[in-house]
Amino acid sequence: MSSRPVLFPALLCAALLAGCSAAPGAPSGGGSAQRTLFAMDTLMNLQITGPQAQEALEAAVGELGRLDRLLDRNEPESDISRLNAHAGDGTFVTLDGSTLELLELCRSCYETSGGAFDCTIAPVMDAWGFGGTGEDYHVPSQAELDVLLPLVDSAALDVDAGMGSARLTASGMAVDLGGIAKGYAADRLLDLLEDYEVDSALLDLGTSTIAALGERDGGGPWRIALRDPSDGERQLGVLALSGQALSTSGGYERQFEENGVTYHHILDPRTGYPAETGVLSVTVVGESAAVADAWSTALFVLGPEEAEALWRGSDSFDYILCRADGQVQVTEGLEDSFTFWGDEYGYTCEILRR
Amino acid sequence: MSVRRLTRCAVLTALALALSVAEGLVPLTVLIPLPGLRLGLANLVTLYALYALSGRDALLILVARCLLGALVGGNLMALAFSLTGGLLSLGVMALLRRVPGLSLFGVSMAGAAAHNTGQILSALVVLGSLSPLVYLPPLLLCSLVTGAFTGAVAALLVRYVPSPVESERKT
Amino acid sequence: MATPVRSSGAERLRPTPGDLLVALAILLSALVLAWALRPAGSGEALSVRLTLDGETLAQYDLTALDGPTRVTVDQVSWPMVLELSPDGVQVVESRCPGQDCVHTGAIHTAGAQIVCLPNRLIIALEGSAPEPTPEFDVIAG
Repeated sequence: MSSRPVLFPALLCAALLAGCSAAPGAPSGGGSAQRTLFAMDTLMNLQITGPQAQEALEAAVGELGRLDRLLDRNEPESDISRLNAHAGDGTFVTLDGSTLELLELCRSCYETSGGAFDCTIAPVMDAWGFGGTGEDYHVPSQAELDVLLPLVDSAALDVDAGMGSARLTASGMAVDLGGIAKGYAADRLLDLLEDYEVDSALLDLGTSTIAALGERDGGGPWRIALRDPSDGERQLGVLALSGQALSTSGGYERQFEENGVTYHHILDPRTGYPAETGVLSVTVVGESAAVADAWSTALFVLGPEEAEALWRGSDSFDYILCRADGQVQVTEGLEDSFTFWGDEYGYTCEILRR
Repeated sequence: MSVRRLTRCAVLTALALALSVAEGLVPLTVLIPLPGLRLGLANLVTLYALYALSGRDALLILVARCLLGALVGGNLMALAFSLTGGLLSLGVMALLRRVPGLSLFGVSMAGAAAHNTGQILSALVVLGSLSPLVYLPPLLLCSLVTGAFTGAVAALLVRYVPSPVESERKT
Repeated sequence: MATPVRSSGAERLRPTPGDLLVALAILLSALVLAWALRPAGSGEALSVRLTLDGETLAQYDLTALDGPTRVTVDQVSWPMVLELSPDGVQVVESRCPGQDCVHTGAIHTAGAQIVCLPNRLIIALEGSAPEPTPEFDVIAG
């Protein structure tokens, strides 16, 4: 008995010390820091390893908070709320540099995707109830959509980078950055982590957007499993990722049922209706998380054929697309880093080559 | 409490303590590997006190023995075990003693079974798991043997060691 | 409590038919309990699970073993050494005072267990393979 009170803490310490020194991925003197937090309406998890891991983590959390305050259109004082509030009145709204940079990126993604990604989708989203907290989903009437669809037009978003301001030219227009803000935040965090000489990091900004830097604890690239869109308990496979980001869009993320029909939240900006292109989910991998984020939405909306055509014309991204007929298409850039598990669940895998 | 009674209880407590330590030197578990299996020699004293003295004295001796045993052995968890087992056992025996048609043997066996049940119950609580329950059936079977054994020895004691209560009355 | 005890005691020192009933009652409850607690899938043991304070401390896959393997469990109050073999497990060494766990010897069937009370540790054999350790760091979706 006498040895017990001493023995137990001693063992505990030994175990803890062993846990520290046994981390082969951690360089000498390097620490690691990890935090789960709620930001941008989702649960995020940041893991950082490096000599100043804790400071880097604090800075990252601060930056997430800053971007959230700028980009949240449900926050009355945010840049986006002010931009939306002045829609159609002609005033250029002075915006933060980050907001401007992101809006410009939205414009460029709008153009390259042929309108499949459109950040001015907000009025239609709200008509479906996808813009708010999620308790008032309903199918809008065609008449309502006919009125709203002309307001969905990123061409009517003027961004004046020189002046540091932007405006929406038509009254009733509104910007929603839900499809790209988390990706942009991931890119911003990756930039910021460079200042802290971070060795490795896994930034999970709400499971749909993940950025990986360096190697995981234990060596080798980070391993990111891709959810089976039909069953949240299963995975289609695992993707080895280092120095890249991925973004996934799937109808399962947010959906509701009305009169026996299921409607999901990924709306086609051209029809105002949930995109029905035979796609269950798309994961886009690229250097930029923001671009991956925008492309995952765009490819979902465009469908398998157009996605493939766009990929052939671009070298900035790769993707894994899960079709409703059970076929999983993987572009050749991911052939070596993707391990397919889906055959267990009746999926087949096809490699797309240029 | 009279000095006589105090002394009597003290002597019996010391005896019970000595018996339980002695029992620990020759663990029955070497023969039959069942956690918690004991011959129950200390229970002999409880049984004797219950029959030759009073229920109250038996309780006093039991609690004192368990507390002192924990001090000697230095294990708080063992105290919880021996107390739950011991109290449940004493309670059952005190009740059954009043049932006509039961001899010391039956009372002792029921006491041994109750002791094992109490120990397993406290193990359930300590471990927060139903796992220890699997040991109860074999322990109950063993309690038939150990209970009969302590019952037999206690019967001899009660018969041949004059009850101090009665001898006091005579003097 | 002051009632003399021996007055009714003489005949109570010999076994009576009532005692037999008590013995039978204990026997019966032991049998009923044993039946109720019989291991559900009593079959081949495939894995060992160590449970400390209700939480799984470790799980070992026995099917992956070629021969006896020793494992030291030192996250408990009284460290112990287990010997895992393809057909079961036993505690070969323990610093606990009771040594009941060592005396228990090897257990072989799924559902069997060794309970170490001083450590509050349960060593249980299970008929299922252990959960595979995740082969990924995070799930995207």
